[in-house]
Amino acid sequence: MQSHFEAEFGKLKKTIQDMAILVDKQVDDTLKALLELDPGLCKVVKARDDEIDRFDNLIQEQSENLLALFQPVALDLRYIIAAMMINTQLERCGDITVNIAQRTMKVIKNKELLLDSEIPEMARAASQMMHDAIEAFTTGNIDLARTVFDKDDIVDDFNKKTFKYLVRKMKKNKDQVEPCSHLLVLSRQLERLGDHATNIAEDVIFIVEAQIVTHQNK
Amino acid sequence: MPETIITTRNFSFYYAETKALANVNIDIKKNEVTAFIGPSGCGKSTFLRSLNRMNDIIPGISVEGDVLVMGENIYDKRVDVVDLRRKVGLVFQKSNPFPKSIFENVAYGLKIGGMKNKAELSDRVETSLRQAALWDEVQDRLHKSAMELSGGQQQRLCIARTLAVEPEIILMDEPASALDPISTQKIEDLIFKLKENYTIIIVTHNMQQASRVSDITAFFYLGELVEVDSTMKMFTNPGNKRTEDYITGRFG
Repeated sequence: MQSHFEAEFGKLKKTIQDMAILVDKQVDDTLKALLELDPGLCKVVKARDDEIDRFDNLIQEQSENLLALFQPVALDLRYIIAAMMINTQLERCGDITVNIAQRTMKVIKNKELLLDSEIPEMARAASQMMHDAIEAFTTGNIDLARTVFDKDDIVDDFNKKTFKYLVRKMKKNKDQVEPCSHLLVLSRQLERLGDHATNIAEDVIFIVEAQIVTHQNK
Repeated sequence: MPETIITTRNFSFYYAETKALANVNIDIKKNEVTAFIGPSGCGKSTFLRSLNRMNDIIPGISVEGDVLVMGENIYDKRVDVVDLRRKVGLVFQKSNPFPKSIFENVAYGLKIGGMKNKAELSDRVETSLRQAALWDEVQDRLHKSAMELSGGQQQRLCIARTLAVEPEIILMDEPASALDPISTQKIEDLIFKLKENYTIIIVTHNMQQASRVSDITAFFYLGELVEVDSTMKMFTNPGNKRTEDYITGRFG
């Protein structure tokens, strides 16, 4: 016999997992739009953010009700706390993808500059991190979650290299200042995506092993 | 909107000169679980027992106002109280099985009601025990004494006994207050399942139990119905300061 709590808890689990899958697709499409400089796909990404925001509100409401009405403990309590934290990460990823899509529209005519930078590689690495973090969460795979931490350093390195590369370009040619500035922001947004993926991976460890690993993997 | 099954209008209740309930107005919806909460002496049990006239057995009581159960004013002189209590069953705080076999306990109300056919009786006993989530534990010992069951099993037996006569509404007066946490959870899970087919009203001192099992919560204080709303609303953002103070433990 399924208990009332299990029924309500099942709804939250489904909502957060559906949101995670949607954000995974959103990140994929955003980075595809960037790499292919595809304005049509940029529009799709921007439109989809409303759907992510609706998930955010629903998860807040479902989590609050579960905590207020059922006094969950142990694994159940950790899952709900983590779901609230992961929800915040995913919602911010949604905002970042919109930002990336907007910047992509601004650099459509600067394909060479983009392709010469490390941004395409960085985008692939950040996308893989997000995909792995979300898969680790939906399957409870802590080994996969731990692999995300290492990749964060790689993305951070790309960000630093990109910064230097773009500053060099700007010093050389003042006409490049505007597109390079957009690419600087893009690089920073990709780095933030990696950070959110890392946070999600940390929350997965918290759910499964009851360990707080935030601030410890650096 | 779920259908209303009980309505009270300006219902007041007196123990001799003492006013225990003052002008209670509430609509209870069908197939929902409604919880009554409030401190001791607030009138919640009195109100519960007013809904099937179980208070009639107390000398000196009197009532004002109306209680409509499925549209019928139950305090009307023409009402058959036995039939009312069949339609509106009551499960007590302390399990009270008869000193008879498990089977006889569940069949008791049916036999009083004139059911004689053995196959029919057996069917109804089995269905009731299944609905009360007790069948698997007792099917091999139906003719053993009910007094041999554990406290939690006895309470589920009492629920089965109530279900056997096919009520519309089940009143529960602190049904789990004498039970351990595992038995309590079984009763709570059972309430969640039973609401598919019945309307349940539960009085509980345990606020967390009210939050876990009910759809609607009503808060009583000093004989007054202070607030009634969805349990979600009551436990996350109640409208009345007294409700908030009570559920957060800041009362008085």
